[in-house]
Amino acid sequence: MNKSADLDFTKLPREAATGKPLEPRRTPGYYPGFSTLSQSPFWDDATRQVVTRRVDLSPAVKFFSAEEFEFWTGVFGHLVPQTDRTPDRQIPLVAPLDHRLYVNQTVGYRYDTMPQDRDAYRLGREAINKEALQQYGRDFLALPYRQQDLVLKAIHDGKPYAAQEIWGSMSVHRFWQLMMGDVIDAYYAHPWAWDEIGFGGPAYPRAYTRLENGEPEPWEVKEKRHEWLAPEAAVSHELESAAHHHTEADQHGATKEVSAKES
Amino acid sequence: MKEPILGAFQPPGNDQHMLGALQFLHVPMRKFTQQDEVDYLIVGIGAAGGVLLQRLARAGFNVVGLEAGPFWDTERDWVSDEAGSHELYWEDPRVTGGSDPLALGANNCGKGVGGGTVHWAAFTPRLHPSDFEVYTRDGVGVDWPINYEDIRPYYEQLELEMPVAGPAYYPWGHPHGYAYGPHPMGGVGNTLIRGCSALNIPVSIGGPVAILSGSHGDRPHCIYRGFCIQGCKVGAKASTLITHVPDALKQGAEIRDHCMVSRVELAKEGRVTGVYYFDRAGNVNFQKAKAVIISGYAIETPRLLLNSACPGFENGLANSSGTVGRYLMAQAGNVVLGRFEQPVRMYKAPPAHALTEEFYETDPKNDFARGFAIQTVGPLPIAFGKQMLASKKAWGWGLRREMMDYNHWAAFGLLGEILPWDDNRVTLADEKDRFGLPVAHVSFNLHDNDKKLIKFAKEKTMEVMAAAGATEVEQEARYAHLVGAARMGSNPATSVVDKFGRSHDIANLFVCDGSIMPTQGSANPGLTIQALAARTADYLISQGARVFQSNDRDMTTPPIRKELAPAETWGKGVPRLTGKP
Repeated sequence: MNKSADLDFTKLPREAATGKPLEPRRTPGYYPGFSTLSQSPFWDDATRQVVTRRVDLSPAVKFFSAEEFEFWTGVFGHLVPQTDRTPDRQIPLVAPLDHRLYVNQTVGYRYDTMPQDRDAYRLGREAINKEALQQYGRDFLALPYRQQDLVLKAIHDGKPYAAQEIWGSMSVHRFWQLMMGDVIDAYYAHPWAWDEIGFGGPAYPRAYTRLENGEPEPWEVKEKRHEWLAPEAAVSHELESAAHHHTEADQHGATKEVSAKES
Repeated sequence: MKEPILGAFQPPGNDQHMLGALQFLHVPMRKFTQQDEVDYLIVGIGAAGGVLLQRLARAGFNVVGLEAGPFWDTERDWVSDEAGSHELYWEDPRVTGGSDPLALGANNCGKGVGGGTVHWAAFTPRLHPSDFEVYTRDGVGVDWPINYEDIRPYYEQLELEMPVAGPAYYPWGHPHGYAYGPHPMGGVGNTLIRGCSALNIPVSIGGPVAILSGSHGDRPHCIYRGFCIQGCKVGAKASTLITHVPDALKQGAEIRDHCMVSRVELAKEGRVTGVYYFDRAGNVNFQKAKAVIISGYAIETPRLLLNSACPGFENGLANSSGTVGRYLMAQAGNVVLGRFEQPVRMYKAPPAHALTEEFYETDPKNDFARGFAIQTVGPLPIAFGKQMLASKKAWGWGLRREMMDYNHWAAFGLLGEILPWDDNRVTLADEKDRFGLPVAHVSFNLHDNDKKLIKFAKEKTMEVMAAAGATEVEQEARYAHLVGAARMGSNPATSVVDKFGRSHDIANLFVCDGSIMPTQGSANPGLTIQALAARTADYLISQGARVFQSNDRDMTTPPIRKELAPAETWGKGVPRLTGKP
């Protein structure tokens, strides 16, 4: 992660009442002092190994080139921003994807409006850079934070201006879904993210015992909420209910992409 | 206490902790050779394959099961972790398309001994009597070649074998009760009860779900850890790996894991003689068999039949009707999310623990046929993140903020009946897998009735969530389960197999899994698949050696043979004399 990012107050979330930037913390969220990892002696051995390996190991980059790795680090830093975390507690987001693409692991299916995952990321990088060039005249990584957010928002909205030749052969909505899926997989698989959202994590063999009314276990902590605003420079805090779409294809903007395949 | 008195929990076997699987199989597995012509070869040891293997072995047949995935050592291989559990799902390549493409993989496809029952949420409602005659009643879909009374004894028996926990009185379909007690409520279950009660909708509390609410012999009780669909390390949730495979092995069945079947071989005389498969090392083998049963589920079963095309069956084995791969069904599985001021912590308790089938049947007031169920679900953080992505288009800081409220959300899943259509189908793609076998292309398209049903069901489920007191209600559109694509029927021109699962075209080739279901109702299919397997097993056992020697097709329905169930799974009830004097 880019350490100088932390010095830029426009990239930090703000206190709702005062608008003052919030200092980066080891564990953002509403569960002060909660640590799932502190409970790992109570987990079974296989689970403890899988989770602690995820925290301790930083595997070598094997699939992406150095440039590609830097590019995706920049992009993923907007998809799940971490400027509210101290640098020592930022969660690696691109390394798990690099590993997945290196071993060619998939989720077990590919939309026929999409290329193979490896190609999708290659084409995606090209398309995002073209979008940045067309909108702001520079490569994605050379843009200021807000413009980077806006470039990605065009993909998010399914309305990119540039690279129509790429989006003609790769569904922009399914690409967004692929990229967000990978970044969610990486961030919310990490026990530091569990601490942030108050998820108790593994509970075998000890069990969860307080099932009702959202009560914490003796080793969990109660929620202490505080109100906060997204960083000044960000546009990614805007939400839009998609509840009116009742089919998956509508909700993911894929209705018109009827398969050409017919045997 | 910072850690357990004897230190961090260690793997089983060091005498320090009572942890891990309590069922040890001390019998060496029987091994057949490829020269042995076994009686039955079963492709896929999942929900159906596990039950078939057990029944046929207990009846004394020589049975081999070939399974593409591993034989799990649950304590070593399974983890309480979403990202670490991907090997439970079918991750080999497939292509998905159509106007409404289906997500596959973790959504609906298992791999390894136990198959989908390893990662199901284990809701086990029965089909309703109406499900077997939707064409007669509503003029949609197709009738089954059997009726509810044909499958009912198998529902009753399998509910004891898993066993199923549920309420003493279950009011829908053919009303019945459950022998094993219901589960306590988690936060999501309480939310469903609150919402349904406010709208005067009856609700089933604590089941039916194939998870132990109390101890059962040496199988431990549920510990409410919430990782049901990541594989139950506890052993409280039923899978055929626990319920039927151990008995099958004790009775002399063999399971070969990591074996991918590539084609079923047909001899000149029109009978199958065995299957070719790739073993763990990637070598091609041929196992001779007197009869073959394909239990590969709704995508791999038709794929194997299509990949087994040969002279006489150029369009796929057992496909003279052209229906192999067609009439594939998924259920509408929209997830409705509600935010509450009071924390819910929906990761505690099994995802499956309360439901309503009040909207299951056709209602003349609606503009569509058939109906839906509303059930509890309990997404863990990664799944919930993707629901926020779909339902609120969340990303960046918006996603981070929504996720910090994870503990304030509850989730219901609707389960809506999508009808069988011939353009929803599995075909072969040009792409090949690592064995060089063409992969499946799945095409899925919603039709008018389906879309109307989903819209209504989604709105009703959102209404229930709002009535429960949610301050915000959102919704992720998706699908659940897969059935069809090798359907059963009485007419060989419009179906692949007969009412016992025997292919119309080839007398010693059977299909037994979810793919033979002609329609699907709004019930989770796991119980029905296992009940159909037990029924097919009874038929095969009643036919004895005739299946191996003759092309005659005896359509007599045999009585249920409860004595072939795993030991101790029936016969403990209040005595009631029903025989003639």
